[in-house]
Amino acid sequence: MSTPRPTSQSARPTGRPTAELRFEDVTVRYGSARRGHTAVDRVSLTVPPGQVVGLVGESGSGKSTLARAAVGLAPLTGGRVLLGGAPVPTRGRRRPLQMVFQDPYSSLDPRMTIGDSIAEAIPPGPSREERRAEVARLLELVHLDPDRAAVRPGLLSGGQRQRVALARALAGDPQVVIADEITSALDVSIQGAVLNLVRELQRELGLSMLFISHNLAVVRYVASHVAVMRDGVIVEEGPAARVLADPHHDYTRALLAAVPGTRTPRRTP
Amino acid sequence: MAAQRTRQPTRRWRQVVRTPLGAGASLLMALVLLLALVAPMLWTDQADAVDTGNILAGPSAEHWAGTDNLGRDILFRSLVAARLSVGLALTATAIAIVLGLLLGTAPMLLGRRLGRLVTASVDIAVAFPGLLLALFFAVIFGVGARGAVLAIGIAGAPSFARLVHTLVAGVAARDYVAAARAAGVGRVRVLLRHVLPNISEPLIVNATIGAGGALLSFAGLSFLGLGVQAPQYDWGRLLFDGIGALYVNPAAALAPGLTVLLAGLAFNLFGESVAKGLGVATLGHLPERRSAGPATSGPPTIRAEEPVVAGDDEAPVLDVRDLWVSFPGADGPVQPVRGVSFAVRRGEAVGVVGESGSGKSLTALAVSRLIEEPGRVEAARLQLLGADLRTGSERAQRQLLGTSLAMVFQDPMTSFNPTRRMGGQLAEVARQHQGMTRRDAFGRAVDRLAAVRIPEARRRAGQYPHEFSGGMRQRAMIGMGLMGSPALIIADEPTTALDVTVQQQVLDLLQAIREADDVALVLISHDVTVVGEVCDRVLVMYAGRIVEDLAAADLATGAAHPYTRALVAAVPDMETDLEQPLAVVPGRPVAPGEVPAGCAYAARCPLADDRCRAEDPQLASFETPDHRVACWHAGEPIPVDGPREPAPVDPVELVEVDAP
Amino acid sequence: MTTANSAVASTPATPTSGPQAGPGGRLSSALTHHWVRFAVRRLARLLVSVWVLVTASFLMIHLIPGDPVRGAMGPTAPAELVAARREALGLDDPLWVQYWDYLRGLATGDLGTSLISQLPVADVVAQRLPATVSLAALAFLAAVTVAVPLGVTMGVLTRRGRGRRTELAFTTSSVVLATVPDFLLGVGLVYVFGVQLGWLPVAGNVGPEAYLLPVLSLAVGPAAILARIIRVEMVTVLEADYVRTARAKRLPAPRVYLGHALPNALTAALTLGGLILGAMVASTVLVENVFAWPGLGSTIVSSILNKDYPVVQAIVLVYGVGVLLVNTTVDVVLALLDPRSMIRED
Ligand SMILES: Nc1ncnc2c1ncn2[C@@H]1O[C@H](COP(=O)(O)OP(=O)(O)OP(=O)(O)O)[C@@H](O)[C@H]1O
Ligand code: SF4
Ligand SMILES: [Mg+2]
Repeated sequence: MSTPRPTSQSARPTGRPTAELRFEDVTVRYGSARRGHTAVDRVSLTVPPGQVVGLVGESGSGKSTLARAAVGLAPLTGGRVLLGGAPVPTRGRRRPLQMVFQDPYSSLDPRMTIGDSIAEAIPPGPSREERRAEVARLLELVHLDPDRAAVRPGLLSGGQRQRVALARALAGDPQVVIADEITSALDVSIQGAVLNLVRELQRELGLSMLFISHNLAVVRYVASHVAVMRDGVIVEEGPAARVLADPHHDYTRALLAAVPGTRTPRRTP
Repeated sequence: MAAQRTRQPTRRWRQVVRTPLGAGASLLMALVLLLALVAPMLWTDQADAVDTGNILAGPSAEHWAGTDNLGRDILFRSLVAARLSVGLALTATAIAIVLGLLLGTAPMLLGRRLGRLVTASVDIAVAFPGLLLALFFAVIFGVGARGAVLAIGIAGAPSFARLVHTLVAGVAARDYVAAARAAGVGRVRVLLRHVLPNISEPLIVNATIGAGGALLSFAGLSFLGLGVQAPQYDWGRLLFDGIGALYVNPAAALAPGLTVLLAGLAFNLFGESVAKGLGVATLGHLPERRSAGPATSGPPTIRAEEPVVAGDDEAPVLDVRDLWVSFPGADGPVQPVRGVSFAVRRGEAVGVVGESGSGKSLTALAVSRLIEEPGRVEAARLQLLGADLRTGSERAQRQLLGTSLAMVFQDPMTSFNPTRRMGGQLAEVARQHQGMTRRDAFGRAVDRLAAVRIPEARRRAGQYPHEFSGGMRQRAMIGMGLMGSPALIIADEPTTALDVTVQQQVLDLLQAIREADDVALVLISHDVTVVGEVCDRVLVMYAGRIVEDLAAADLATGAAHPYTRALVAAVPDMETDLEQPLAVVPGRPVAPGEVPAGCAYAARCPLADDRCRAEDPQLASFETPDHRVACWHAGEPIPVDGPREPAPVDPVELVEVDAP
Repeated sequence: MTTANSAVASTPATPTSGPQAGPGGRLSSALTHHWVRFAVRRLARLLVSVWVLVTASFLMIHLIPGDPVRGAMGPTAPAELVAARREALGLDDPLWVQYWDYLRGLATGDLGTSLISQLPVADVVAQRLPATVSLAALAFLAAVTVAVPLGVTMGVLTRRGRGRRTELAFTTSSVVLATVPDFLLGVGLVYVFGVQLGWLPVAGNVGPEAYLLPVLSLAVGPAAILARIIRVEMVTVLEADYVRTARAKRLPAPRVYLGHALPNALTAALTLGGLILGAMVASTVLVENVFAWPGLGSTIVSSILNKDYPVVQAIVLVYGVGVLLVNTTVDVVLALLDPRSMIRED
């Protein structure tokens, strides 16, 4: 991986060491035992400390379910999710695993100022003043004007909202962040800015990250490892360079072949 | 998705009162509440005064609504009864709301299993009408005011619980609730901080309407003799007493009847007008749609008039010159499409790209004559296969468009009628435009489904849309366009809702159709790479204009407009340099209502100068006749700022932004 | 112009169309399968609802504070008589025995005996039921006949934010009409047509013209609400993508509205409409009392006042079953019109 770029931000004040996120035989079933449907089927996957793992697959393949299971929003039917060797806490106020959601228009409470939304995710402890300072620091981290903490999300564009959502995830002082299709609701012109920010934050803070996307080119740009998911199963996994250049599984090959722009443009005769 | 509301709460409430209906309802409401407050203090004596010489008298100067069987004044009694009537109704409503909130939020607080039990019980209870429940509970709690309050309150609880449950479920499904839970915020806190505030408006509105309902239900129970008992009296009781003397003194029944009606109306109309003002849905009421952005700067003055297709013998399939689309806005018309000119040759594939809101879809809808009132379409020329689409008989146009133009829309999930079988939906086209019999048309539909590679077409034709996968539906949509003999297919983001592998199948299908019969294609997409792969030529739209028209092969390297270049560079592809940050288009797109003077892109353009901000560049040939660009600095190198600093802090402008 | 397609049709229809072709075979029996599941589920729900209803009506008498028999016979009745009546009614048996007897009675059509008239309740109900059913059915018909065309027309006229004035006038007048409770409307009609004009009978159900005022009082409110709901659904449906598709097919306007929009608007309206139509059954109680209609409604009120609980129990039961039947019918119609509604409930 490339070396982190120099930055004007100070290093992370809390400086908790990042940890490894490991899914072990995770299964998630929805519905009853008889008529139900297995969304995630005995998936094992490791996000090494300080690395970005890209998870690709088509709609319904179980990517989001896996993510939601990790943060306790979907019930585990089997298996474990381990963070630095211990089960991920899904109760209580300390959540070292944080998530950023797909739709920036639905992931911020329209009635809360963005400052409050971020502050809510700060674990209890700091005083009011300290919280305010922390919110300002986080906003600055995602390149938003800290003076605007009192603004409601209605006034922000999609890309700005997604940056607030990133700041909120960082407020939980996470060791691992899961980003679920965070650019797919954004216009292409804005997508670039958010991707740049993700790479910058990840490198500066040394976060481990599970980056979910259906867009192979986007995953290629941010991730060092790639896992390919289909029908609830991981069919291929490996270093990004290897998987994208020399796919072993037929499905990965089909996905790569379908990426627009990889075939020569047609010309009318 | 619902538009996020950004107006200030107080301003929005003020708007409620500003409509005539809202003002009237608020006034009436205030009157009723005032009456309930002061009437017993002012007129109790007159209302209770017994006048034995004047029993069951008709209206007179002394007693405007006559007297009852003890000679008491009906009018004063009707006024004084306001407090008891309104008080009882409000108490009953309060009971219903509290119970409804408890039952409605229970599924969220209690977890899956218990929650489902509560929901199922509420579902069963809600099926029984309130009056029946009220009678049931009136029997249990006994005849009288107390029994009736409990009966009406409890009877109102199930429908309130259902409402709360629906609202809570709606909010709980939003990601901000998931985000709060993932951040470790407890359920009760999530309920108090995120859910309840976001459902408070519809709750208040429905509670107001519910109070009106309770008032009238109370009158009903009292009217049956099951509610308030003498010597207490509410409006229903007065009505009950008065109706016995309907032939002697009709006013004895009509006065309390009208009063209770007015009071009920006050609550309901007030609730409805608040609902309308706040954009809250009630039974049988649509939330108000937000109007499109702020005003434009009046009608356009400069209109492009230049040749579009140079040196082409054959008439183009589609020829559009100076196309404008406008909608009435809150402060004058807005123009999302501003003078678009292009032509599509036989068999040509033209791509249209641009950011969301740049007017791609409206252009497509306008050329296919699908923009409805109050939208307006104007053009200097609008021809399909040489026929003028601006004039001509409606029948002839329908025939031409129905057979020669095929449309494919973005969302295959919602673009078919869910209540009708696929085959019939396709066959309809042939029956309408080719005069085929039902059987022949169905046969053709099956044939067309097979042609778009739907396996087992005959069986599939008998199925409903929801039994098709997304990719199959989009193919069926294309097949529907092939029922006639199209010369042009307009596809508006046909693959955006599909997975990549399915996207490829759909694009391949379009390609095959094009090659087989020389059909022209207009492919709208926000994805530059898709358009670059499929199309011969690309139109780049920005703020309702075409800013560049170039060969698809030139997209990567030959683009001359700064916007096109930024758009291409901002999208990572499989060759993007991993060490460089992605190009970023700063700022945000221009809303149709706020197009500035000069070049619309100037605020985001690294090459912008004073001329750009003053004069609007026209689409003109650049280097070759087929390459058109609207830019004063077309093709000039864009300054690259050395090793990139971290992006500057983005000022959050205080502008209203709507959810897409 | 070339006839397109010939060549397209000749491109081989690839049956193995990649990973998406997926659920081909599974879909064949899907619809019948859904029908069976829907029927089973709907029946189960009906049975549970009926059971809840029966149990509630049974418990009603036991939830009343104090001794219902003493209440019915008055404080002056001799204690032995009260005890004997309690004995006869089986009120001294253990609760589950009484419950069992009640269920067995219902199964054999025995609804108990009136405390006041000593007549079998079943006879009272049988005698009164037809008048109520005919009143409700006529009102039901009238409401639907008026509301559907009105709502559809209004929906078309006010689609896409057009006809703001029409919309305001319609919405306001329908709110007003829906607010006027049936019994007040009844009183008003009695006053105008009976007292003032003397044109129409105001009591009883003799002759067809006697139906006019009661049906009117009963139907106006629900018709207004129903028309509003249908308008809203129509406006929503007219914005739907598939209506745009229908227009892109260049169908004439009536076919777009009636062929594509109406079925969808109706299915959406029916879900709420079912509840409103069900409520009409219960509304007969009030209207019957205004017009001295010899049906169940006037009987239940006098029975409540007389504390004739077995009669009250039976009539509550009959009304409840009537409501459930209306709801079930509506659900079945919905499923016939829109096959998705069966699946949505899953
Ligand atoms: N019926 C309407 N009334 C008023 N304004 C409208 C209407 N329809 C569209 N607009 C506005 O016109 C502008 C262009 O809309 P259009 O749908 O053509 O954009 P688009 O380029 O297709 O965007 P997207 O990529 O999101 O589909 C938008 O700003 C939109 O808000
Ligand atoms: S005209 Fe000026 S502002 Fe507009 S795109 Fe060209 S250089 Fe930029
Ligand atoms: Mg569009």
